[in-house]
Amino acid sequence: MRRLISITLALPLLLSLTACFGPPVDPDTVQESIQVIAMDTAMVISTYGKRSTAAAYASEDLIRELESQLSRTEEESAVFRLNGTGTLELGEKAEDLFPLLEAADRYCRETGGAFDITVAPVVAAWGFAGGAEYRVPGKAELQKLLELVDGTAVKVTDRTAALAPGQSIDLGGIAKGYAADRLTDLFREYEIPRAMATLGGNVLVWGNRPDGTPWRVGVQDPARPQEQNAFVGVLLLENAFAVTSGGYQRYFEESGKTYHHIIDPATGFPADSGLTSVTVVADCAGDSDLPGTMCDAFSTALFVMGEERALDFWRNWGGNPFELVLVTEDGRVAVTGGLAEKFDFDTESGYVLEVIS
Amino acid sequence: MFWKSSPKLRPNGWDALVVLAVIALAAGSALAVWRGAGTARGPGTVIVTIDGREADRFPLSNLLEAPRTYSNNGYTLELVYGLRGMENPPPDHREPFGEAGVRAAWADCPTQDCVRTGLITRGGQSIVCLPARIIVQLTGTGAEDGGGVDAVLG
Repeated sequence: MRRLISITLALPLLLSLTACFGPPVDPDTVQESIQVIAMDTAMVISTYGKRSTAAAYASEDLIRELESQLSRTEEESAVFRLNGTGTLELGEKAEDLFPLLEAADRYCRETGGAFDITVAPVVAAWGFAGGAEYRVPGKAELQKLLELVDGTAVKVTDRTAALAPGQSIDLGGIAKGYAADRLTDLFREYEIPRAMATLGGNVLVWGNRPDGTPWRVGVQDPARPQEQNAFVGVLLLENAFAVTSGGYQRYFEESGKTYHHIIDPATGFPADSGLTSVTVVADCAGDSDLPGTMCDAFSTALFVMGEERALDFWRNWGGNPFELVLVTEDGRVAVTGGLAEKFDFDTESGYVLEVIS
Repeated sequence: MFWKSSPKLRPNGWDALVVLAVIALAAGSALAVWRGAGTARGPGTVIVTIDGREADRFPLSNLLEAPRTYSNNGYTLELVYGLRGMENPPPDHREPFGEAGVRAAWADCPTQDCVRTGLITRGGQSIVCLPARIIVQLTGTGAEDGGGVDAVLG
């Protein structure tokens, strides 16, 4: 009887103690989050696990290191030096430039020039580079600049990169994707069980959410860019990198007309392809070669191509696998087969969903 | 009876009082923690990061008293309290009812992306001014899921 009374009295005490200390913390759910402004955008990197803090700081160092090589405006960067002199030797803080130039060359050729890093002077003429004023360039000015646009003219060997006379490059179209590829290497090195990085509008998800379900990544409705919760649908992703290119992301108006920042290298004008956004998704945990870099390049290229060419490209591409969400001007959301099960379409968005096989 | 074997240990009225006090304390502590967990939805906190460092952190409702301005890298932006569907904050400085948040009312940067972002009302959402290198984040609104998503593409 005495024991019974003792136990009865002790139970509430124990209960109160557990309430004070709470449940044991799962090390995989310990989180660190850092914000970095780099590569002309804001980045948020959240890492989980026992080494989350060290990995987050290492991530920031990595991003800063990449920017110091790949920035078009930092005077010490490899890209700045290459643009200034037309040639660059490997070494001297250019280790990441060379694989990127090789990838850029490959994607330029395989997209028929829809992705081209030498379109930089044209983009700058529109005021879409750095903090310049937006403007509509004259036809003669554009024509002269377009003569220098040819990504296949950039020569890259194991040790040397060389531009054609008068050319300059901007890696803004693939640098963030490359950063995501480097981040996945870092997450592996630090044995990070889960992480999420938003690099501007690009999203890298590593592992799954702390509750064990896939990360939920919203695809912005291009028709409602001002509304932060307006999605055409939500992607359910694990170990994936996703990039969206859309004309709504950066634009200006002049004389009643809207000009966006995705310039067609063939015309020198903002791409007018019938698409309002292109999202490219690829697995980032497999053996694919630089999947983030690929997604970044293709989101721009496929926006320029338009729906029909983009889907042909998706069907016939022989490299790393990737999937698409295309939003069209005429109110359709086209999702390729591999994403159909991972795309939670918003039936109230006003769009019509099409699954492409 | 076992009480008789040790008369000094026989419980009296004072012991009963101690027992009751312990039970009340235990129940109170447990209730406090459980209720605390259930009412994590706070009024919302605004965190302002400048050049990667936290520069300010304050309850959203502080913006009802007055807007706040932040300057960096030669540019300035002004943060104001906002309610979904209302252009201006209520004049009486009292916490109003509705979907409250923060927005950049104006900025002198060339891109105006921060102003175009409009009102953010959910935890995890942010306003970014790249030219000024300022990030404004909202946390603790009780709507941390940002409309049911972890991140947004675009």
